[in-house]
Amino acid sequence: MPNNRVLTGSRAMVEAIAQEMRADPKVFVMGEDVGPYGGIFSSTTGLLDEFGEERVRDTPISETAFIGAGVGAAMAGMRPIVELMFVDFFGVCMDAIYNLAAKNTYFSGGNCKVPMVLMTATGGGYNDAGQHSQTLHATFAHLPGMKVVAPSNAYDAKGLMTSAIRDDSPVLYMFHKGLQGLAWMAAPEEASTEVPEDAYSIPFGEAKVVREGRDVTIVAISMTVHHARAAAEALAAEGVDAEVIDLRSLVPLDREAVLKSVRKTGRLVVADEDYRNFGLTAEVIASVVETDPGLLRSPPRRVAFPDIPIPYSRPMEQFALPDADKIRAAVQQTLGKAAA
Amino acid sequence: MADIRVPNDLWNADETPEGVVANWLYRDGSEVGAGDTVAEIMVEKATMEIAAPAAGRLTITVPKDGVVRPGTVIGRIDES
Repeated sequence: MPNNRVLTGSRAMVEAIAQEMRADPKVFVMGEDVGPYGGIFSSTTGLLDEFGEERVRDTPISETAFIGAGVGAAMAGMRPIVELMFVDFFGVCMDAIYNLAAKNTYFSGGNCKVPMVLMTATGGGYNDAGQHSQTLHATFAHLPGMKVVAPSNAYDAKGLMTSAIRDDSPVLYMFHKGLQGLAWMAAPEEASTEVPEDAYSIPFGEAKVVREGRDVTIVAISMTVHHARAAAEALAAEGVDAEVIDLRSLVPLDREAVLKSVRKTGRLVVADEDYRNFGLTAEVIASVVETDPGLLRSPPRRVAFPDIPIPYSRPMEQFALPDADKIRAAVQQTLGKAAA
Repeated sequence: MADIRVPNDLWNADETPEGVVANWLYRDGSEVGAGDTVAEIMVEKATMEIAAPAAGRLTITVPKDGVVRPGTVIGRIDES
């Protein structure tokens, strides 16, 4: 008899956290509204009821203080999961993240570990303006010392969270609000998936081929994976066979998976909801051309957010956000065709 | 056969007439246990869980995003 249990992204995250909290008393959760409210993007729903106030701790609105406290707790032997409510709020706590969490393993000569998970909500598309809609993938992937992951679906959300909690390095876990299955925010159908009840982990740095194809490689992460899949389906109707790769982690980056695909297709489009300049899209392209500039049969294309603050106005935000049509047009350019 | 019904007292329909099925947490045709959370109902941005009234095979009759009121039958369980 089939038991095809489907979880939303948020339920998958909560299940991973709860399973690791049951298995290891050192794991605890801390952040703004993670307790009775259950996380404003439902990343901690129900944890307070099971684990109590000592292990699910609501904090004051001071990211500087509680992320700093998370770093200290991690160095003292705990395994904190700290939520930065919106990634956009990183400004006030960047010292704790970049100069403490990311560096203390090095600065202590390896005597201290920082097994902290910093989970944070990313992404736009719901008209929350420039201080609540960014993804900022590259901002965190750029500086050494942290692992950075960004799941596109519930199965990966659970497995990557389990890996993040068990990892002895600081891990930035970036979840897109539009993939959480929240009732008040439209989510792609494929974001909710069947999820095994038993705990499992997904290794960092292993991209997943979510659609095989021969003509062009589309590399994506987080929300843009869903745009890329939709673009690939539209392209299939036009006779173009696109391969779609979900990177799943930025650090470590699975450059080999990209190279393997491009060796087959010879064409490359990279899609990311983060800002375009100095971003993930350029990093992926550099990985290919540094290896062998002859791998590409046409210039690669980037589909990313233009370098402007994210607009509040719905038509303006939709105009700027990456989507399936923009990816499809970029693919057509790599094929030497004008976008239809 | 047991109906999966939105409880009549889940919210005050005089204030807010309608809600929607936010998510189904099993695929149509799955075997579910009695008391398993099978669906989420959203009313005014609040999410509420719907439990399976019996163990058996799930049939979904109101899909995700379908509009519901208190008392609406959204699916059924065929007891095996």
